[in-house]
Amino acid sequence: MIVRLSRRYSFPASHRLHSAALSDAENRATYGKCDNPQGHGHDYEVELTVRGVVDATGRVVDLGTLDRLAEEQILAPFRYRNLNAELEAFRAVVPTTENLSAEVDRRLRSVWAGVFGPAGPELEKVRILETERNICEISDRT
Amino acid sequence: MSSMIISKKIEFSASHVCRSPQLSDAENQRIYGAAANPLGHGHNYVVEVSVEGRPDPVTGMILDLKRLKELLEDKILSVYDHRHLNLEVAPFDRIVPTVENMAIDIWNRIGSSIDRTGRARLYSVRVHETSDLCAEYRGEE
Repeated sequence: MIVRLSRRYSFPASHRLHSAALSDAENRATYGKCDNPQGHGHDYEVELTVRGVVDATGRVVDLGTLDRLAEEQILAPFRYRNLNAELEAFRAVVPTTENLSAEVDRRLRSVWAGVFGPAGPELEKVRILETERNICEISDRT
Repeated sequence: MSSMIISKKIEFSASHVCRSPQLSDAENQRIYGAAANPLGHGHNYVVEVSVEGRPDPVTGMILDLKRLKELLEDKILSVYDHRHLNLEVAPFDRIVPTVENMAIDIWNRIGSSIDRTGRARLYSVRVHETSDLCAEYRGEE
């Protein structure tokens, strides 16, 4: 039987929404207070949804393995970091919640098959909550 | 009017042990970790039941929510609340009461009796074991 299991993680980080392709006035008009030159931060929440078959142990995925993967790929590299200054992915890309979700999804999927194998569960969805009100979800990758 | 989904939450408290008699003590410890403690532990479970259908043109409702509440009290709360799942709730005398298996069992208990009018069908059962862990079952896929 197919079940979806969702697990939530959290990391604090700072960022600034500012594009080098835009003028200062355009950045302010586009990103508002998120363009503050000194940056600002959030406690991001990352929710991963794994879809798969319930095995003989009653589980879709080994939570220890999922936790280790999240720690290695997401939490350790992002925790207490300035996303713009310290993460290669955001040197030229604005760290909006949309782009952050895409980077989290890319990192997890780059190692997913190697960790769980070809018959393993699928990473169906990545959701990032920047705040309780700002939520970005990647589930359809077409 | 196109199809919509309406969801209702209920909460219950129960104890369980994640331990399979088919596995050794060491294997149980490796797979389930602290949840394999033979003396058991408990959670405040939150169950979110989602029903899909088209609102009735007269009542504006997909289904009678009072009846859904009664159904959840009758089929789920009266069975699960303040119980030891392994010892008191079948099928968990035979299968491990992981959050995945609980979502499937709750679906099986209510799926066929969600609606007598034929307007609505059970869409998903989500079981939150803690605020950071949730399993969702949508029936056979």
